[in-house]
Amino acid sequence: MSSAPEALLTALQFGDGQFPGGGFAFSWGLESLVADGRLARAGFPAFVGGQLQHRWAGFDRILAAHAHAAASDLPRLHALDDLADALMTVDSARVGSRRAGRALLGTHVRLGTPGAAAFRGGVAAGQAHGHLPIVQGVVLAGVGLDRAAALAVSAYTMAQALCTAAIRLGLIGHLDAQRTLADLRPGMARLAAQDSPGLDAISTFVPVSDIAMLRHADQAQRLFSN
Amino acid sequence: MRTNGHGAARVGIGGPVGSGKTALLERLIPLLRGRGIDLAVITNDLVTHEDAERLRRARLLEPERILAVEAGACPHTVIREDPTLNMEAADSLDRIFPDLDLILIESGGDNLASTFSLDLVDYWLFVIDVAGGDDIPRKRGPGVIQSDLLVINKIDLHPYVGVDLQRMRAEAAAVRNGRPVLCTNCRADEGIAAVADALCDAVLYRGA
Ligand SMILES: Nc1nc2c(ncn2[C@@H]2O[C@H](COP(=O)(O)OP(=O)(O)OP(=O)(O)O)[C@@H](O)[C@H]2O)c(=O)[nH]1
Ligand SMILES: [Mg+2]
Repeated sequence: MSSAPEALLTALQFGDGQFPGGGFAFSWGLESLVADGRLARAGFPAFVGGQLQHRWAGFDRILAAHAHAAASDLPRLHALDDLADALMTVDSARVGSRRAGRALLGTHVRLGTPGAAAFRGGVAAGQAHGHLPIVQGVVLAGVGLDRAAALAVSAYTMAQALCTAAIRLGLIGHLDAQRTLADLRPGMARLAAQDSPGLDAISTFVPVSDIAMLRHADQAQRLFSN
Repeated sequence: MRTNGHGAARVGIGGPVGSGKTALLERLIPLLRGRGIDLAVITNDLVTHEDAERLRRARLLEPERILAVEAGACPHTVIREDPTLNMEAADSLDRIFPDLDLILIESGGDNLASTFSLDLVDYWLFVIDVAGGDDIPRKRGPGVIQSDLLVINKIDLHPYVGVDLQRMRAEAAAVRNGRPVLCTNCRADEGIAAVADALCDAVLYRGA
């Protein structure tokens, strides 16, 4: 990346909620929680904070960082992707991560992002599933973002997607969303800048949204994919 | 067969809630199949998989040829700003059915401003109905104006809703700069062959 403004503009483009990666169709458990009345407007910032801390920081962040470092090493990427698949025990989270990952990958293949077509070749050949954090690591490296910037984009897109889903579900207002993102910013920045833990440190356990995602799969009335 | 790139031609069907998009599909599918066209359908239901289930129950196509994509409460986003999930679904149909000629993509019911991304479809039709009122064409929504084909459905209902069909049709033609307008009654199977002809001429170079 030749200059700081260019890196910033790149992060803005790929972190933009308007970036066509299919993310808007996923609620990661939020829809069920709202439908069951288990989450109120006042509890939303803490919910997103919990997702960042217990899902993103301990899982997506670590895998995305390793994928970013291995962006042109296909066997390594396939192994990371397989690990992601094995560790996601909640069905609709795993299926959602695959669908969202493949959708994002498809857009980057069409845009010609370096590394995207090679990894998609592995997915098409059945050598990889195309999980979201792995795809994020590959394509954000491909567009030239350094590790910290890539992880910041990954965290932000997750928080932002939950916020817009909550607005569409009628849970929060548009200003609530901006306040939530602002409050979470220091934490996201700190996590993105940290040295990446080894793969042994991976964990993901957010009982409230995991159970909500398990239940979502059986619901006939739904706006979101999970 | 496809006009841009490879794989099956992709045709969008948009229009307001309840205008008859699924009803039109139910009429078009047997007609197109009868013409030897290998086809599949993607639905974008808002809250359920109702339209996909309805088409599967009708047994007009094998169930594997009918996919449902969730729209995350945004029927226009999933066909316009971010049609990624529809493109992935269409790509997967192309992979599973290599001889596929045509993929019909039904949008969730939306408003008059909904349009399809030109990266998603090769051609799209917009379905309005007489019961929505004969002022709809005059409101000049982007769907009414920009679609490749405007379909005015439920023409059987015009006497009951006080609509002057000739005038509605003329006004629709006037705002569309000469692009085609066709009238249908999906209840009685009227006008469907003309829709199939228009669609085949535009994207398949065969059929009629
Ligand atoms: N009288 C009459 N009724 C029709 C016609 N076409 C559709 N309908 C009825 O209109 C209603 C809505 O039709 P659908 O095909 O479900 O409409 P849609 O546009 O797919 O609706 P959404 O997907 O919910 O936006 C149904 O009750 C149909 O039977 C028609 O040509 N004439
Ligand atoms: Mg319908």
